[in-house]
Amino acid sequence: MADLFHNLYMGFSVILSFENVLLCFIGCFVGTLIGVLPGIGPLATIAILMPITYNTEPVGALIMLAGIYYGSQYGGSTTAILVNMPGESSSIVTALDGHAMARQGRAGKALGIAAIGSFVAGTFATLVIAATALPLSDLALSLTAGNYFALMLLGLSLAIVLAGGSLLKAMGMLITGVMMALVGADQVTGEPRLTFGTDILYNGFDIAIVSMGLFGIAEILRNLEAREQRPVVSNFIGSLLPNRKDIAEASGAIARGSLLGALIGIIPGNGATLSTFASYALEKRVSRHPERFGKGAIQGVAGPESANNAAAQTTFVPLLTLGLPSTATMALVGGAMTLHGVIPGPQVIAKHPDLFWGVITSMWVGNLMLVIINLPLISIWVKFLKVPYHLLFPMIVLFCCVGMYSVNARPSDVLQVAVFGIVGYLLSKLRFEAAPLLLGLVLGGMLEDNLRRGLILSEGSIGTFIGEPLTLVTLGITGIALGSALLPVIRKRRVYLVEDA
Amino acid sequence: MIIEPAGEQRPRPVPRFARVDVIGGLLLMTIALLVWFGAIELEFGTITDIRSGTLPTILSIALAIVGLGVVLQGLFQPPGSSERLELTIRPTALIILSIGVFGLFIRGGNFGLLSTPQLGLLVVGPLTVFIAGCAADRVRVRSLVVLAFGLTSALLLIFVDVLAVNIPVYPKAIADVLNTSLGEYFALRAGYVVYAMIALGLYLILYMSAERKRG
Repeated sequence: MADLFHNLYMGFSVILSFENVLLCFIGCFVGTLIGVLPGIGPLATIAILMPITYNTEPVGALIMLAGIYYGSQYGGSTTAILVNMPGESSSIVTALDGHAMARQGRAGKALGIAAIGSFVAGTFATLVIAATALPLSDLALSLTAGNYFALMLLGLSLAIVLAGGSLLKAMGMLITGVMMALVGADQVTGEPRLTFGTDILYNGFDIAIVSMGLFGIAEILRNLEAREQRPVVSNFIGSLLPNRKDIAEASGAIARGSLLGALIGIIPGNGATLSTFASYALEKRVSRHPERFGKGAIQGVAGPESANNAAAQTTFVPLLTLGLPSTATMALVGGAMTLHGVIPGPQVIAKHPDLFWGVITSMWVGNLMLVIINLPLISIWVKFLKVPYHLLFPMIVLFCCVGMYSVNARPSDVLQVAVFGIVGYLLSKLRFEAAPLLLGLVLGGMLEDNLRRGLILSEGSIGTFIGEPLTLVTLGITGIALGSALLPVIRKRRVYLVEDA
Repeated sequence: MIIEPAGEQRPRPVPRFARVDVIGGLLLMTIALLVWFGAIELEFGTITDIRSGTLPTILSIALAIVGLGVVLQGLFQPPGSSERLELTIRPTALIILSIGVFGLFIRGGNFGLLSTPQLGLLVVGPLTVFIAGCAADRVRVRSLVVLAFGLTSALLLIFVDVLAVNIPVYPKAIADVLNTSLGEYFALRAGYVVYAMIALGLYLILYMSAERKRG
């Protein structure tokens, strides 16, 4: 316990430097801004903005990325409440009761309770991360290569099972991603692999380029197909501060949502989205007036909003302690860490304690900033909701080009973004989810490396490799997870969980 | 633009080879074949001693099986749940073209088949915005022109001046002259200040005159 506070103290001493507070603020601000803008979710936001973090120190870059991430989650909730356009899947549930409240002229209260709930949940999640990080990374350090390999398979299969959509197609994307990770110089011998004699493939596929194309540009291409709609925003927001009765009604929901979200976020898979559905169902069940849900029940906003914020933060746990990103967004954050020379995994806490605790405390500071940025400035964000898409998307295109060029000053990088833009568009038209591909691309190298080392350690015996208790159990759960997804009952439920946060 | 047939009837069955799943599955199988072919020349090693070719080979076989599964799924779909692959070409082509123009001309260089001159952000930036903007369903030239200059000016300020990112600003020939006569920094600042003024000027001219016409 004393350790915990010592570590948090260290974290605060990192975050509370002028530069880092500023970066945290910029991250939250830009994240909220882009989250509010129609048609761009957190994943696309991070993909588009990743290049601008390259010019800072690793700590600052991560603080800013984290800020962008939960800032854009937050912005998504604002649009869900005000115009019934959930910016991403984790605020679909919020739109149900949140927008109903807005129609009754209680938009301000919905926004207010969402902000308060998110802040409480964020505080709780920060403590959860701080408390679980050390034991988990100790555990991770004692794992063998074989264990790691099995754990990665488990994480990847949970990610595709819990993400919804066609399992077979998701698997196809995952394998494609892993194969893309193998392209380029061999990790051991350095010989070119699958490059087909080209120089450009020798360096492999760059995560930043692939994700900007697949998520940033392809999203624009998809949006352009739909006819432009002008969101109808009511100018009347109402009082922002919930009164005592609202607080009393919502406090239980906030507490339950925080707990549920923090737990679900740690499990690989689409934690933020999953937790909102779980929380909504729970609130409806414990409520004495379940009939009010869908018609502006404050608990229906408070619970899911707290849950998704807590989950959004605890999804960092697998990445920071095990080095295993559980969503495509975390895969991008992991990619950004690697580019800054920090390999995500159990060594992060030992080797870069300032970075680790700095980032964790920055989440709390960031949440506080979000409350301050969002509530008083809500009228400004409402204005941004009205930015027409026909002006927005050319801006994003040029921003992406300049951002990508600025990373390596290589024109070919920009051209590759265009290529992956087409690929992403085609994939989405063919109803493939691109998120598993990104996970495969990020984890592919590690997967092969651990398999190779594991087999060397087991002296070539597959029996010894698989027979190790922890590996066996993990592989068993993997099998069950994949198998159960094929059951009709669960298959039906998975249909609802489309799109990764 | 896709023109909806008048009087939507009940969904007509989609021909097998226009179905999303059939095409998607074939795509996966093509990738698998490509990787398998690429892995032939790599050393396979043994199961106990995996080499550079082991995983590509195994994965390409796995992907081919998955691809085949997706194809079969598509072929035997009930008619109601099959989906036709529909692509909209114009906006996609314009966006890709705009990024392509940026990549090819920002610094110029030799791209295999063609070599291009450096045009710099001051030329390429507005061009990219304008081409991309034409992808909208209704092109609004006035606001697009203002945006093209204004955004280029803003990005020069943020990326090149504040973040000190190395991006070519002027076309090669002009850059050499300007940098020696004005100095690099002054040339850069002159560039974006002038562009900001152009954007403002265009805004005033295009919108004010429109107001006046309307009376």
